[in-house]
Amino acid sequence: MPTHPLSRLLRRNISAGQIIGYALANLVGLTIVLTALQFYRDVTSATSGDDSFISSDYLIISKKVSGLGNFLGSDPSATRFTSADRDEISSQPWAAEVGEFTSADFNVAARVDFGGSPLTTALFLESIPDEFFDVSPRGWDYTPGSGKPLPIVISKDYLTLYNFGFATSRGMPQISEELIGSLPLRLSVSGGGKQEWIDARIVGFSSRLNTIAVPEEFMTWANREFADPASPRQSDPSRLIVRLRQAGDPAAMAFMAGHDYEVAGDKDAGGKAAYFLSLVTTIVVAVGVIISLLAFFILLLSIYLLLQKNRDKIHDLMLLGYTPGRVARYYHLLVAGVNALVLILAVSVMLVAGAGWQEALGSIGAESAPVWPTIAAGVAMMLVITAGNMIAISRSIRRNFRR
Amino acid sequence: MIDEITLRRVLPRVFRGLENEEPVSRSEVWMRDAVTFRRPGSYIIEAESGTGKSSLCSFIYGARTDYDGEILFDGKPVSSFSIGKWCELRCRALAYLPQEMRLFPELTVMENIDVKNRLTGFRTPSRIREMLEMLELGARLDDRAGILSIGQQQRVAIVRALCQPFDFLLVDEPVSHLDARNNQAVASLIASEAAAQGAAIIATSVGNKLTLSDYQLLNL
Repeated sequence: MPTHPLSRLLRRNISAGQIIGYALANLVGLTIVLTALQFYRDVTSATSGDDSFISSDYLIISKKVSGLGNFLGSDPSATRFTSADRDEISSQPWAAEVGEFTSADFNVAARVDFGGSPLTTALFLESIPDEFFDVSPRGWDYTPGSGKPLPIVISKDYLTLYNFGFATSRGMPQISEELIGSLPLRLSVSGGGKQEWIDARIVGFSSRLNTIAVPEEFMTWANREFADPASPRQSDPSRLIVRLRQAGDPAAMAFMAGHDYEVAGDKDAGGKAAYFLSLVTTIVVAVGVIISLLAFFILLLSIYLLLQKNRDKIHDLMLLGYTPGRVARYYHLLVAGVNALVLILAVSVMLVAGAGWQEALGSIGAESAPVWPTIAAGVAMMLVITAGNMIAISRSIRRNFRR
Repeated sequence: MIDEITLRRVLPRVFRGLENEEPVSRSEVWMRDAVTFRRPGSYIIEAESGTGKSSLCSFIYGARTDYDGEILFDGKPVSSFSIGKWCELRCRALAYLPQEMRLFPELTVMENIDVKNRLTGFRTPSRIREMLEMLELGARLDDRAGILSIGQQQRVAIVRALCQPFDFLLVDEPVSHLDARNNQAVASLIASEAAAQGAAIIATSVGNKLTLSDYQLLNL
């Protein structure tokens, strides 16, 4: 079929230079936006991983132990968080979730047969709600009397302290995470006039929690079973764990400093890096959006100019009975085509760049995030730009109907 | 379908305040209580230049609205018509030959006609050729409209105007650039097409009238 004479009429005066200029400018803007978004998502993707470089941030807070007050027999509850304290923290805008450390109200000693000679040490145990763990060990539950070993997660720092502090200075063997996990532990749990031996196993190492953690089920059961009836259980926790909505939020830090709370860091530096990263990403994305917006106005001006030049032709077509929509369709297709091309190129550049930084990021523990949300953002942005252009075209053409 | 077009006290805005002066005061169209065109029928509106005959065509065709008074199609005021309604009328009920022809100079004769005929699908290519031959343009089908003489352009524009079903055919000085022989050819083509569709012809003229056999003459 030969070209419709309509398209031969309407493509007159289209400036290839202006269209290419628009396409390049919008390509730069959109590429910056998409690349920055994907970079941010890639870098922050490893939040669920064991050792993320930048994770959604957790703070473990306690009240400052001041002077000798506690030694001299003043009220030990001064370092505990009341429910009012807790409510105040959870009502803060930066706090996503607040969890309590539940401490043990009984005595614990651990015995391990290590190279033939038994080692015995006094221990303490704590529990926190499961959702605050950065590791998700298999079999993280406990049913009293089931005979299954009690799972324990310890701080990675303890293993490091042993391996590089204690073991090297005492000529003891260094142990790996795998080895320590296979060691059978026996815990002596006593209190309230009762004593029991419980099998236990270390199932994971946390870089977030500087404690020895057991499942909440065990803690609830054991606190009930071995509590001293003479001294009622102190229910207020002495440590809280807070998940922040935004990593490294300075408002949270200011709050903690203002209330004299001590922050035991889950990678304080990581939090600051995360905050900095999100700030930089926001700025870069904003720059990209501004470039795209300017490009949008370039195209708008170019189209207005084109319609102005083709004003007589468009008016004549209306006199022949062409609807404004029919005439606009030609320019709509043009804009949609150019914008689709720009989108495809920008996504391609983003994917190529993403492949480029993958290796570097992999080495610091981040893995690639799915690209679909980023592409969806690009499509959404392009749809908005295209719709804006199309509306402008339609309005301008309708104005030609009468004069 | 439109059966009658009525003008009620229509006056171009440029004549505001001149209602009691020449040429408005003796006009048989401007400021009359009801001027009605019915189909079938032929009307020739004669005027000196500058009295607004092209404006009248544009008003009726909906291309301009700078007038006072009211124009009604079958009793309905056209001011209430949407753009879509106008486009439909221009494809199905109202045909129009503008005085300046308004051909696209960069398109060929055939393409110029095609721009209209593709919209309406009313004529076959062979019928278009036949009409062009009747007006002695058979040899110019593939020439660009821009290189044709004014008289030839006028005849191309007439064929183009006929490429649609119509109840009213507005022709603004259709023969101003034609000799007597071509005037005759155009007149008989227009008259036979109008008769075939039971349509009315409204032609304007500054002197050289379309040679219709039976018509009502109005002085603008």
